[in-house]
Amino acid sequence: MGDFVQLLIIGLLGGGIYAAVGVGFGLVWGVLNIVNLAHGALVIIGAYLTWQTFTAWGLDPFLTLPIDAVALFVLGYAVQRGVINRIIRAPLLFTFLLTFGLNLIAVNVLLLVFKSDFRSVTTSYSGAGLELGGIVLPYIRLAALGIALLMAAALAALLSRSRIGLAIQAMAADRDAAQLVGIDLRHAYAVTYGLGAACAGVAGGLIAMIQAITPTAGEPYTLQAFVVVILGGLGRVSATVVGGLAFGLIEAFGQSIPGSGSVFANAIAFGVMVLVLVTRQQGLMGRLR
Amino acid sequence: MTGTAGSRLWNRIFIGLGLAVLAYAVLAPLTSLEAAQSLNVPLLTDKLWFRLATITAMFAVMATAWNIIGGLTGYAAFGNVAFFGIGAYTTGMLIAKAKWPFLLALPLAPLAAAIFAVLIGMPLLRLRGHYFAVASLGVGVAVGELVQNLDYRGEPIFGGASGLFLPIVAAPNRDLYFFYLMLGAAAVSIAITWVVLRSRFGYGLIAIRENEEAAAVIGVNTTVHKVAAFALAAALTGLAGGIFAQWNVFIDQENSFPIAYNVEMILMALLGGTGTVFGPAAGAVLLQLLIQFLSGSLPITLDLPFVPEDAMPVLAQVVLGVLLVLVVIFAPRGVIDFFGGRSRLSIAYLRRSLRETSI
Repeated sequence: MGDFVQLLIIGLLGGGIYAAVGVGFGLVWGVLNIVNLAHGALVIIGAYLTWQTFTAWGLDPFLTLPIDAVALFVLGYAVQRGVINRIIRAPLLFTFLLTFGLNLIAVNVLLLVFKSDFRSVTTSYSGAGLELGGIVLPYIRLAALGIALLMAAALAALLSRSRIGLAIQAMAADRDAAQLVGIDLRHAYAVTYGLGAACAGVAGGLIAMIQAITPTAGEPYTLQAFVVVILGGLGRVSATVVGGLAFGLIEAFGQSIPGSGSVFANAIAFGVMVLVLVTRQQGLMGRLR
Repeated sequence: MTGTAGSRLWNRIFIGLGLAVLAYAVLAPLTSLEAAQSLNVPLLTDKLWFRLATITAMFAVMATAWNIIGGLTGYAAFGNVAFFGIGAYTTGMLIAKAKWPFLLALPLAPLAAAIFAVLIGMPLLRLRGHYFAVASLGVGVAVGELVQNLDYRGEPIFGGASGLFLPIVAAPNRDLYFFYLMLGAAAVSIAITWVVLRSRFGYGLIAIRENEEAAAVIGVNTTVHKVAAFALAAALTGLAGGIFAQWNVFIDQENSFPIAYNVEMILMALLGGTGTVFGPAAGAVLLQLLIQFLSGSLPITLDLPFVPEDAMPVLAQVVLGVLLVLVVIFAPRGVIDFFGGRSRLSIAYLRRSLRETSI
């Protein structure tokens, strides 16, 4: 029983990170119809930003999160406006390849700048945790879960309350109709991608506090983000959060099976994805579009 | 787009050049080795030349095979490297563990890859668009992971992280032997594409690419067509993997399931023109030469100021990424399009392809 509770908690805490990685990916996919293979690279750029500001200026890693968000928003806006917008009407293979190319560029530029050494952010409270009936809950992971949920709530509020959020939702529903009512598609697309990148940046900042990072560490997160979005269901922020938490639980319990382990992380992710796609394509909470 | 006299001329020049290069590639190894030494002319070939030529032929097979599912059928398969690895490990296991001779083990590589493709193709090919693309990407990643990590009573089944060593095949001229074998595989792939494009089956695939519902309505059994195309692509890719295993003598997850191959083969097909017979192979030659040049494997290397030598492979990847972005944006119908006489490289062409897809 104690084991079960422990796995449940580990799963939910891990799921917070997956939710954080997933919301930006789900937004870009749902609205722009782009499976953003550069998402993992955006995550890791955020992670390096946090690492850099932490080591250079000694800034507390949690305080670097807003910096990550703003910097990645600007980067994402520029990339969408300057590059991806140019092929937005092309068949999906092209957006797929384009984002893969962007990923290749980003990862290898990071490799040129930071080399492939492992980097980690270690603070005075890194090892500390809340002890609860024999189970230790690391503070950083608890905070990461909280921030992930806050970020998702903020994004959902932005989408349903603000003017640009409504414009984004209108575009997701019908691009041409949105243009007819006067929405500047180029700008709104770029804002959408920027928001997705900003979420990825915050997720990356959280990841830098939890694991050692390298320029290639973001790649597994792209596949996992895809699985999370499929698991929850495309089109709503709350569904992605549910998908993230569910995926964390599946991974925690899946890796506890004897003979399994972290080496099968991708195989488990993939197995879950195929199972969901074949049996319930709209996801746990989703509506088919 | 009708070809003008000028573009027909280009067409002829291009085909002539291509044939000359091909003839050289096929015949050069024969003329060079002992003959060149005895005649005291400089060697036309060496180890490096063979390695490069064999790898190029290998990518020609993979790009041509991808074209069958990605270019003709329109299903963006992103995990074809799984078939390459399965082919490599099938021959690898049969030779290293079961002590089969190479030529007996090789035919089982395409067979194993095709069977695997049928098994995963039945659920996966029901998915459309992004779902299929990422699901197949997942297959590529997951199969490699399983092959490296599957244990049976603590013993790795497929050699684990330390990989598999194969006994060296006893051929009089190893390099030549494997070069011709790989070149033969490329020729077979191209011939199969040519046949498929002229068959009822091929028309069915193209109908699926253009409009799957309509294809089903006019009586194309879409499931059978899609799975067959997937299995055909898998078999050819597996064949390349099987040859690779014996050629390279050592296989592991890194060299049999490299995720980068997935995109390289697609980029090659795209560069050369998807849906065509020779395009993917031509794209393979083009891109492979570029990759080898950038990573410094060619005799002619590039000395850039401010760039240390060990950073060159990384820089090569950056260039590959930039190339990918530029091709996708400006020449979605392939670079070979310019030489094939269907359109000419001009500012107007680039602007038109931009306008077609941007908002």
